[in-house]
Amino acid sequence: MATSNYLSYTAREFAMDEGFQEWVLHPERGNVFWETWLRQHPEKNTVIQDARQLVHSIKFRSYTLSGTEKEQLWDAVWNGLGEEEQPATHITAATPWWKQTGKYAAALLLGVLLTTAWWWQFRSPQPVIVSVHTRLGETKKMTLPDSSEVTLNANSRLLYSASPGGKREVWLDGEAFFHVKHTPAHQKFIVHTYDNLNVEVLGTQFNVNNSGKEIVVVLQQGSILLNIGAPADGKTAALYLHPGEMVRYNKLDSDYTKKSVIADNYTSWHTGRLVMDDFTLSDAAAFMQQVFGKTLIVSDTQLLSYKVSGSMPVIYNPDTMMTQLGKVFRMQFNQRGDEVWIRKK
Amino acid sequence: MHTGKAHKSGLRVVTSHSSLWGRFLQGDRHAFAEIYDAHIDDLFHYGMHFCQDKERVKDCLQDLFQDLWTSRTHLSPDIQHVRYYLISSLRRRLLRALRKDRRCQHRDSWEAFEFEYTLPLENQLIQQETLEAQKRLLQEGLASLTRRQREAIYLRFFQNLNYEEVADVMSMQVDSVYNTISKAISILRKNISLPLLLLLLSK
Repeated sequence: MATSNYLSYTAREFAMDEGFQEWVLHPERGNVFWETWLRQHPEKNTVIQDARQLVHSIKFRSYTLSGTEKEQLWDAVWNGLGEEEQPATHITAATPWWKQTGKYAAALLLGVLLTTAWWWQFRSPQPVIVSVHTRLGETKKMTLPDSSEVTLNANSRLLYSASPGGKREVWLDGEAFFHVKHTPAHQKFIVHTYDNLNVEVLGTQFNVNNSGKEIVVVLQQGSILLNIGAPADGKTAALYLHPGEMVRYNKLDSDYTKKSVIADNYTSWHTGRLVMDDFTLSDAAAFMQQVFGKTLIVSDTQLLSYKVSGSMPVIYNPDTMMTQLGKVFRMQFNQRGDEVWIRKK
Repeated sequence: MHTGKAHKSGLRVVTSHSSLWGRFLQGDRHAFAEIYDAHIDDLFHYGMHFCQDKERVKDCLQDLFQDLWTSRTHLSPDIQHVRYYLISSLRRRLLRALRKDRRCQHRDSWEAFEFEYTLPLENQLIQQETLEAQKRLLQEGLASLTRRQREAIYLRFFQNLNYEEVADVMSMQVDSVYNTISKAISILRKNISLPLLLLLLSK
């Protein structure tokens, strides 16, 4: 992408640019180019907002299949396939077994030899290790070597380690949404939090937020087991979570609570949306702190309990996000360095 | 993209789609199910905008996925953009089905690939009347686009195909895709930007 000529672009020209459209339509993919460009050219903010508006206004009527319909359709696809898949298995049954024995024995011996050779080579398996991190205002979506998917929120770090056939383990600092794939060998997947809490799963979708004074685990699908407590002092608790349940664990006093919530409100960030259901200004402050490292300061602490409901796209640009939140809360957000002062309009 | 850095430091972070496609080609049924899950909503959405006949769309989708599985050994391992491949395949099937039966092609009160105007920030703060007025203006403006032009816009903005892929799916020149989208944006600019900006400024 040539940077120079963007300076003379009109809103219309921006709206026509494929990379720009991509950035506007898929904020969850966090386009570094545009974010940097906008930071370097703050005077273009109006034009950009204008262009953004144009791209956003192209919407289409929605049509959806219900969950049941999707399953029925999948079954129809599958059943249609069953007929041509099965007959392929018994073709060699015509020759008597004794004539084949020698051949089988040879094959078996070869198989054993190969397996042994393979076994020797991998006897001390090397664990696969992956480490990923995100900076402020950036998210990453990735597929781990075991094909589980992880979306890492801003300012987070994830370390993954798995030995072939052994358990899969990750260490999380920050926040991540996990879509863990079940493996044929039923390998456990464990999320460690650098505190006395870990999450154990086989295959499921859940969110772990370990960015503040608490660790918040929300289960979207499947089931997970939380192990809380230090094995050293013998006080451990095992908690099973069902979909839509949340556990909040306080890092200071190791206390925890469990309750039912709307999981989407806690996990939607990984799809690029902020779902605000009785969302208070103090929730917004926590968000700005976690994602952009900005501290929100209010003149009047009563403002912190102001609530709004609705949803909006998460844009990984602190200024845009602030403008949007300001509009939603109908408050004035004034930025001074990493601090944001908030006043009632 | 983001995975690049991990590669450089000798770590293996596989991109989700290509590896999924690879597993699918090797006959992994879980991968097949994942491909179905990942694309069924968007494909259905496209089908409904294309012909509005739910049963027909579902039939075409069933055929599409069955053929996908049975012909997997002949498919290219290099398919980068699975969505693009599935959409163009669905489009051919729908066209074939419609050619046999023209009944469902024109329904009253339905415009193929009709635009819908939604709140810009979706924060439900803009008044209903203003919204209605804008919606009407927009619909009038967009009525001057042909069905094919609307489809091209839809494929770019809703299905996220790039200009070249859109041109390919619809057997158009890349230039005309570009012009079509440019025209749509002009209409939007004329009809919505001004009142909307005023509205935002007045808040």
